[in-house]
Amino acid sequence: MHVNKNWFVKVVGFVGLGVASGAALAETPVSMWVHSGPGPEREVYAAAVKSFNDSQKDIKLELVALPEGSYSDQINAAALARKLPCILDFDGPNVYNYAWTKKIIPLDDFAELKPIKADLLPSLLRQGTFNKKLYSVGQYDSGLAIWGNKKLLTKAGIRIPAKVSEAWTFAEFEDALKKLKAAGVAYPLDMKFNYGFGEWFTYGFSPIVQSFGGDLINRNGFKTAQGAINGPEAVRAMTTLQNWTKNGYVNASTHDDGDFVKGTAALSYVGHWTYSDYKKALGNDLVLIPMPKFGKKAVTGAGSWNFGITADCKDPRAAAKVIGHLMSSAQILQLTDVNGAIPGTMTALKASKNYAAGGPLAIYAEQATEHVSLVRPETPAYPAITSAFAEAVKNIVAGSDVKKELDKAAKKIDQNIEDNNGYPVK
Amino acid sequence: MHKALKTSEPYRIMTSNPALTSGASAPSIPSSAKRKGRLTPWFFAAPGLTLLLLFLVLPFLLALVLSFTDQRLVTNEEIGTHFVGLRNYIRLFDDDSFWAALRNNFFFVVIVTPIQSALALLLALLVNQKLAGARIFRTIYFMPVATTMAVVAVVWSLLYAPDQGVINRLVGVLSFGMVGPQDWLRNPTLVMPAVMLLSIWQGVGFQMLVFLAGLQSIPLDLYEAAKLDGATARQQFLYVTLPMLKNTTIFVLITTTIYAFQLFTQVQIIANSGTPAPVDSFRTMVMLMVQEGFSNGKIGYASAISVVFFLIVLAISLVQRLLLKEERAV
Repeated sequence: MHVNKNWFVKVVGFVGLGVASGAALAETPVSMWVHSGPGPEREVYAAAVKSFNDSQKDIKLELVALPEGSYSDQINAAALARKLPCILDFDGPNVYNYAWTKKIIPLDDFAELKPIKADLLPSLLRQGTFNKKLYSVGQYDSGLAIWGNKKLLTKAGIRIPAKVSEAWTFAEFEDALKKLKAAGVAYPLDMKFNYGFGEWFTYGFSPIVQSFGGDLINRNGFKTAQGAINGPEAVRAMTTLQNWTKNGYVNASTHDDGDFVKGTAALSYVGHWTYSDYKKALGNDLVLIPMPKFGKKAVTGAGSWNFGITADCKDPRAAAKVIGHLMSSAQILQLTDVNGAIPGTMTALKASKNYAAGGPLAIYAEQATEHVSLVRPETPAYPAITSAFAEAVKNIVAGSDVKKELDKAAKKIDQNIEDNNGYPVK
Repeated sequence: MHKALKTSEPYRIMTSNPALTSGASAPSIPSSAKRKGRLTPWFFAAPGLTLLLLFLVLPFLLALVLSFTDQRLVTNEEIGTHFVGLRNYIRLFDDDSFWAALRNNFFFVVIVTPIQSALALLLALLVNQKLAGARIFRTIYFMPVATTMAVVAVVWSLLYAPDQGVINRLVGVLSFGMVGPQDWLRNPTLVMPAVMLLSIWQGVGFQMLVFLAGLQSIPLDLYEAAKLDGATARQQFLYVTLPMLKNTTIFVLITTTIYAFQLFTQVQIIANSGTPAPVDSFRTMVMLMVQEGFSNGKIGYASAISVVFFLIVLAISLVQRLLLKEERAV
């Protein structure tokens, strides 16, 4: 192929036409949207695109990074105009809605992706599957737990759990917050309220609801949220969260991403993506603490951003090749080394230093394998669920009545399900 | 009424709309020409009317129809769109967010329209003085209007920052430390006043300009006559300036009311800046419409909101027209 093209160019040159654009003519353009995450992640994507474009001459991959805040609105607008890019990066739980509205196509039939499907982490395979077909693959799964500042915790005399089985109980956790506050830590627990209204509220805070024994929707058939999102367990969970802000354990109005780094917080409730920044700032004082058992069991979030091929894509096979490249172990590890996420394939996970037993991030992998992590509701109603829940969280931390807000969320979700005839699947 | 306008003034705005006079026909014209004469205004109006029909009337009729359906923005085409009768309206009137949005809108309009109009008149009187630098101040007061609202809102949300924000320090200094720092955008009772303040600051320059044009169209001989009669400056203002500004004032009041009802950009940006106050304490009708229609994809429901909103604004404009009769002497 390569030789052929050189030969073609030479012939063109010899004939003297002077049109030397032969190489560019044969390239298939493939567009790709990604959400613009933290700086280092963006650089890795740019490097991945460059390495892909340099590695072959048939496909030209064009990357567009869009701000995360309005990312799903942008996708809706583009879907409406039938101008979606070929490859779409989107947050995991949206896959069911995108598949149901036929924005994206199944990936099972692409030869390039078959070995990847077999190698995918079970959690990602489950996340990407809708109606028995695989619609998306992710380079990584997320990890959600609590980062601790060892120096501040030790000073306040708090036990630091080192593995999932040693996780704090609810009483121990609140006791730790109290002790830290008494020891002069301004706001002991950083819950990343500076991220603002958005998916973080659902991803981050729904595990608390689930640990207390509630959920966002009744997962039996996904037909109603009544009794789940506004059940007594969920109300208790969200009242607890509200109390943390009222008691000054959590600063719900922080605009500062660096509360934990600066030591104004001793615990940071956040996902894997802060790892490299925190490591740089705290060095050996950084400890990863497993999710506490607020109720009977500990629960953490799962699922993360992943790739799909859209229905508007003119050349899905070229898109599949690109995804194949992005899902190679080398590419996955380059990304997870900077963002700290759980590598998305078994092969890459085994090759990762951070996730080896005793590695700094092993607790994330342990949470995933010991069934602490729970995927977000696998239903096309997810966008409605997350916007209703996130709005409730926002209002609750701002001081609104917990039960009233959750009732409102339940009603909104049920209306959405009714609006869509219960999301029938053929 | 425009004869006293000084043509050298850089800012001049027509304050009264020339009334559309339909083809006045003289009695001696033959009937075919008369018919042609009747048609002529329609030809002139055709481009404008076509655009109005296409971009205002038609979309509104569409919204009216859609408000009785379960139309979604992006959906699985297999389930289709159905007429759902009054379901959207029933849900709307049952929705706390709708009533909260309506309340916020009215609160905003009732406070902002009079204050902004009065302030605009005051500024117009100030910059209408024949003093050195009046033009510079005119430009300064107008500058916020020329600034994009999105930028204004972002800058003000920084000014409103809790603890050490500029506004908090200002309040602290002005109250001699009696009033502590407030969390303006997170406190449910303070967020609307905060939005009002920034909106008035941004918008007042425009109304000032309209009033300025009105002031400059007042014939100077009226003031001279008043002076001869021994009227004080205050009497001149009350009995010459204010009555002569009647049409301008009506225009300003009605447009400000309508602009105020359309409140969106500021609150939308505040809603997206970190964690603001509970959304129902500042969400407006337009914002609710955009969120339900675009973010949540409920086109039918959002259409119902827009229909109700249209009827409310229409009713208020009609009442205003009845109460404030414009003098049409052109």
